[in-house]
Amino acid sequence: MIIKTVDECSYFPTMTIKGGTSQACAACKYQRRRCTKDCDLAPHFPADQPKMFQNAHRLYGVSNIMKILKQTHPEQKEEAMRSIIYESNMRAKFPVTGCMGIINQLTFQLQQAFDELRYVRSHLAICRDQCQYQYNSPSCPSSQLQLGIQTNDHEALQLYQQQYQYHQYNSAAGSSAGGGGMSLMANEYLANGINGVYIDDNDSVVKPLRVQQFYYGNNNVDAVAVQHNLITSQGFPIQQEMDVPHDYDDIPFDTIADDRQSYIDSKEACESSAESAFKGTTTQSLEHVSQNDLKSAAACFSLTS
Amino acid sequence: MASSSSYSSSCNSPCAACKFLRRKCMPDCVFAPYFPPEEPHKFANVHKIFGASNVSKLLNEVLPHQREDAVNSLAYEAEARIKDPVYGCVGAISVLQRQVLRLQKELDATNADLLRYAGASCNRGTGRGSHHGQNSGLYSFSSPWSSSHDPYGDHRN
Repeated sequence: MIIKTVDECSYFPTMTIKGGTSQACAACKYQRRRCTKDCDLAPHFPADQPKMFQNAHRLYGVSNIMKILKQTHPEQKEEAMRSIIYESNMRAKFPVTGCMGIINQLTFQLQQAFDELRYVRSHLAICRDQCQYQYNSPSCPSSQLQLGIQTNDHEALQLYQQQYQYHQYNSAAGSSAGGGGMSLMANEYLANGINGVYIDDNDSVVKPLRVQQFYYGNNNVDAVAVQHNLITSQGFPIQQEMDVPHDYDDIPFDTIADDRQSYIDSKEACESSAESAFKGTTTQSLEHVSQNDLKSAAACFSLTS
Repeated sequence: MASSSSYSSSCNSPCAACKFLRRKCMPDCVFAPYFPPEEPHKFANVHKIFGASNVSKLLNEVLPHQREDAVNSLAYEAEARIKDPVYGCVGAISVLQRQVLRLQKELDATNADLLRYAGASCNRGTGRGSHHGQNSGLYSFSSPWSSSHDPYGDHRN
């Protein structure tokens, strides 16, 4: 009676059995070697995706991949392999720029989105103020002022917007993280070590964004931003310098918008006629009415009477 | 001898790659134009991560006028991988994508606010119907951003 021991039964490993239960991974298939049970690459390169391993092999090579895996913690091997595979696939897709081209593209998109958001927020501030002003003074002077606003020419509107942008910068810089989503985003942008940078078309010098420097004084330049120095001209748009305008409150009223000159002229006319007609107006409660409103109201009264 | 000296003077100083590999830098060295001897770390990083043979093959696969950009991008990725062996430069991509998405959301919300105020100001100011910003002269931007390069297939917000 021949009794087979357990050791004999387990002597023959599954790897030697062709067409066995475990198919060779893409890495072992490509290298034409046996795929063992403890193959390090088998979990990451399934047999049905040979192209994935080919890309990784072309960029890194098996030995370099194994070196990287040895450096990483066992719990991070999965993430490391995913990043290697992604990088290899991107290099296969974009042989010249690879992942760096994607980073440049995303940085450009981020900057564009940031600029658009800033612009839209400035418009929103203008709109809010307009609504508030219309709500506060529905009487005749406001209609005149409103008329002045609606006849804004483009330059005056730009100047007005610039001042409101500055106003927004001040409020955003001074606010906490909960003050505005934009400042929160920018905080995280820098906290993650990616500084706002742009590349001039003329040279490869990396210039920090003045806007973000206005937000924060800390230039936490990471290797990501530093390596942008290696980039040759990528056709990035040239960021216009944001000249720090004067504080909105410091600018005299009559220089804010040229198109308000019509209102100022009419205001002077009202004042001159109001002085003579004011004496004859009926007495009213003047406690809640501003002086300008009173004079204009008097002018209207004198005109209609 | 003079010819050999003139021959050697053309590649008097070997490139960083040949210096690192301790070999003679030939005139047709593929690495010489892109790895100057003044930047030894550039080739050292690239060789450490990708290997010289892989880099050579990659350079031969692209057009000559694109090789400088290719080398620069490889050097960038190699340095990123050395600094962060787990994620390399892909970590930066992930961060940027999340930020673009957040900005997109914020832009959408701000545009919605703008349309609300623009409609309200039109109603109050002119007395006409709500035009939702059509005649307000203000801009509302669309959000054409699409994250087509998500390395991990999920949007971790």
